[in-house]
Amino acid sequence: MPTKKNKKKNYLSFQEITLGLQKFWSKHGCVILQPYDTEVGAGTFHPATTLRSLGPKPWKAAYVQPSRRPTDGRYGENPNRLQHYYQYQVILKPSPDNVKQLYLKSLNAIGIDVKKHDIRFIEDDWESPTLGAAGLGWEVWCDGMEITQFTYFQQMASLECKPVPVELTYGLERICMFVQGKKNVFDIEWNEEGVKYKDIFFRSEKEFSAYNFEFANTETLLKNFELAEIECKSLLEKNLALPAYDQCLKASHFFNLLDARGVIGVAERTGFIGRIRELAKGSGEVWLKTQI
Amino acid sequence: MNEFFVELYSEEIPPNLQINVRKEFEDRIRNLLIDENIKFKKIFSYSSPTRLVIHVIGVVDKIKISSKVIKGPKVGVIEDILNNFLRSNNASKKALFKKKIDKGEFYFIKTLPKELFAKDLLIKIILNIISSFKWKKSMKWSNHSMIWGRPLRSILAIYNNNHLSFNFGHLRSTENAIIEKDLLVKTKKVKNFKDYENFLKKNNVFFNQKEREQKIIKKLEQICKSGNYNNVFNNRLIEEVTNIVEDPNVLLLEFDKKYLEIPPEIIISTLELHQKYFPLFDNKNKLTNNFCVVANKPDTNNIIKDGNQRVVEARLSDAKFFWNKDKSRNLIKQLANLKKITFYEKLGSIYDKTQRLRKLSSWLSDEININKEKVEIAASISKSDLCSDLVNEYPELQGKMGKYFALAQGFDEEVANAVSDHYLPIGNASIVAKKPISYSISLVDKLDTLVGFFLINQKPTSSKDPLALRRSAIGLLKTIIENKINIKLSDLINYNIKLFQEQKVNIENIDVENEIIKFLRDRIKNILKEKNIKGDIIDASISSHANSNFLDLYKKNIIMNKYINKDIGKNVLSSYKRAFNIVGKSADNIDGNPDAVLFRQDEEKNLFEKIKEIRKNITIKENNKDFEKLLISLSETRLLTDSFFDKVKVNDENIDIKNNRLQLLKLFCNTFNNFINFSKLEGVS
Repeated sequence: MPTKKNKKKNYLSFQEITLGLQKFWSKHGCVILQPYDTEVGAGTFHPATTLRSLGPKPWKAAYVQPSRRPTDGRYGENPNRLQHYYQYQVILKPSPDNVKQLYLKSLNAIGIDVKKHDIRFIEDDWESPTLGAAGLGWEVWCDGMEITQFTYFQQMASLECKPVPVELTYGLERICMFVQGKKNVFDIEWNEEGVKYKDIFFRSEKEFSAYNFEFANTETLLKNFELAEIECKSLLEKNLALPAYDQCLKASHFFNLLDARGVIGVAERTGFIGRIRELAKGSGEVWLKTQI
Repeated sequence: MNEFFVELYSEEIPPNLQINVRKEFEDRIRNLLIDENIKFKKIFSYSSPTRLVIHVIGVVDKIKISSKVIKGPKVGVIEDILNNFLRSNNASKKALFKKKIDKGEFYFIKTLPKELFAKDLLIKIILNIISSFKWKKSMKWSNHSMIWGRPLRSILAIYNNNHLSFNFGHLRSTENAIIEKDLLVKTKKVKNFKDYENFLKKNNVFFNQKEREQKIIKKLEQICKSGNYNNVFNNRLIEEVTNIVEDPNVLLLEFDKKYLEIPPEIIISTLELHQKYFPLFDNKNKLTNNFCVVANKPDTNNIIKDGNQRVVEARLSDAKFFWNKDKSRNLIKQLANLKKITFYEKLGSIYDKTQRLRKLSSWLSDEININKEKVEIAASISKSDLCSDLVNEYPELQGKMGKYFALAQGFDEEVANAVSDHYLPIGNASIVAKKPISYSISLVDKLDTLVGFFLINQKPTSSKDPLALRRSAIGLLKTIIENKINIKLSDLINYNIKLFQEQKVNIENIDVENEIIKFLRDRIKNILKEKNIKGDIIDASISSHANSNFLDLYKKNIIMNKYINKDIGKNVLSSYKRAFNIVGKSADNIDGNPDAVLFRQDEEKNLFEKIKEIRKNITIKENNKDFEKLLISLSETRLLTDSFFDKVKVNDENIDIKNNRLQLLKLFCNTFNNFINFSKLEGVS
């Protein structure tokens, strides 16, 4: 709310938006988790979403997830593209009947007055070949801007989801740019003390872009991929779903880096994705099998 | 008035699914009402993203079913059959009686007259329909086992002011209508359709798609009139937008003029495809920096307008960034990047494809006499925009961007055009590539796709064609026909197969040449049907199509169709028919080889001479065969055949002479069949 003391602050900062969502979903019965501590491409990859989507047990969780997409790096030169960004992830199983209402309320909680804005649910069927996951839902538009991915999972780790969970993935940078009216992601106000997104992330975007595209050692990556795969399979034999799944995540990240380095040929690509999917499937199967 | 209506209230169903289901709902309810003898006046069907509504007016209350006599099994059949008959007609043994008819003695039953209540039948009908909708895509949610396009939340069912109560899956039908607008949730018990309509309208929910569409169109027209814009809009987009809003409000917006520097296709694609906005064009049809947005509510204080404008500017600034970067990236130097893009898993990369296209088009350029150098360059760069950032962002602009890059880098205009136009035709009503360099690349690109997929046995089936090979084939044929490309495809196909082999593609099908020719013949039927060629002419021409020149095949159809009901056609047919009637089903040893020594009458000799003359004309290797002239020369045989049959008795006592006459007539028929297989024409055999 606008105050006279601080003219600049007629909108929420990045960290306030995050905190607002944490508070909101906490109030609505979610387990508030912290980000997963290994590199992932999206909030969906967190085992709190993937593995917990499987099986009959109810589950509600929410968390921020730093997400890495090496190929999206632009050395900090593009106003809309980052190789590292934040997603706010909510997973509700089974999907509650009032989930759309809940979602709209959560927007209000972060300074988007849904009565005044044009909120739309635009068809978007989601699929992740690496995870063996698929779902139906929408991308949510606010005045023409995509701010959230809203998906009813039908399948995860190549297994049918029963009951069906719903996943809400908020693009935090986009929402924040929208709320703050910024045209460049690096101009986002991170807090109320004048710290900008650029101050925190510009250097890392530059350096990681160089790493992702130029300097990542592809031989090491390839070796690491294979080691992670072997480790995952051996852990699956011991029915250790979570450690095995960690190795699947690592394999997936190594693959993304190899992809960014442009060393994966056309025919190989599908092969790599298939191998990761197998690991995810194995992890899901063991998770289900050993669930009490 | 008696009425009945149902509303299926769900979360937002995508426009295509929604439109399909609305139509299906209406069709099926109409058919089932008729099947069940329920008389009605009219059916209305409506839909919005969240509502699917069917409204039937003038429904009768009761349905009288008169008594009927039903024939059963023959007397003497085993008990089981008889019981089945009784069970399926819901009758008891007492109702049976026997009766003799001309096929023997049978069991019969006579059903009693009945009166059914429409109400009960309506529930049955509704449940039947909604439990078996043909969703193109459907889902489950929560703990439920129900399948729907998006979660179904509530069913409202009313019949003659009363709640029509039934269960469907986990839901029980209600008499309450629901409004959910933003955070506001309201429900209201409704008695009838009028009530329902009023409640929704009062809350600015327009469930009637036609009403929404009219509202949008009217406002767009107003904007065009007052701003002097060209009043032409994309109808598909109007339909889509109509079905993603419930309370349409058209807003007029603008973006910074500086973005008009980038190719208009990019801007149009951004607006239409990505944002579902309507670009505005001035009266010279030039893109302006104004556009319209259809919002789902009125815009207070320009909040929605500002937001949408910012989104467009962000997207256009991205596009401009990519445009500036991509247009200066040397297309030739980028070719190696195409190695990273798969064409299809077993068929190598796009780079491999362009290498094949270069060789194929080079070969073609010799055949049809066009500039070899240009066509080779065009083939090489035809796909190079696929590795640009812009096409990555806007896949629908493939080719179009390549053309701009090529022009920006000083490539010849014909070459640049080929980069965009070789993808033509796109869609059924689309034009084909018209310039030599463009149509050459277009032709070999489509052929290469067909050959490739046939080689690895990825062929379309009767119901499935995921790789759209039918479309490629039709595009290929239309390109050949409209540009009059006189070429036998067999040689090109075989060269194409060789090129795949050189690239170490694993050949899984050894009959590709024949299969593709056959595939193309099946496809050309559709093209000919669209040209209103008579079905028997199409069959007759395809049945005698012995080579792989599809332009000739097409021309013969056009000529034959033109003359079939005129004197020329009638004479040809009459001539052929007389010969065919005698020799059509003759023995195998009659193969059309008469011996001139055995001719006894002038009529035989004259006919033979004429046939020889025609055959010479047929076999002449000429680039533009004049099929009209050929057909006329066939028709000229009429006089000769007439006098032949008047004067010559085929059934001569001397068997050698008789056979020789049959041979002559056979030769005559064979000669005609070179043109088209006349025996397949209506009225010949």
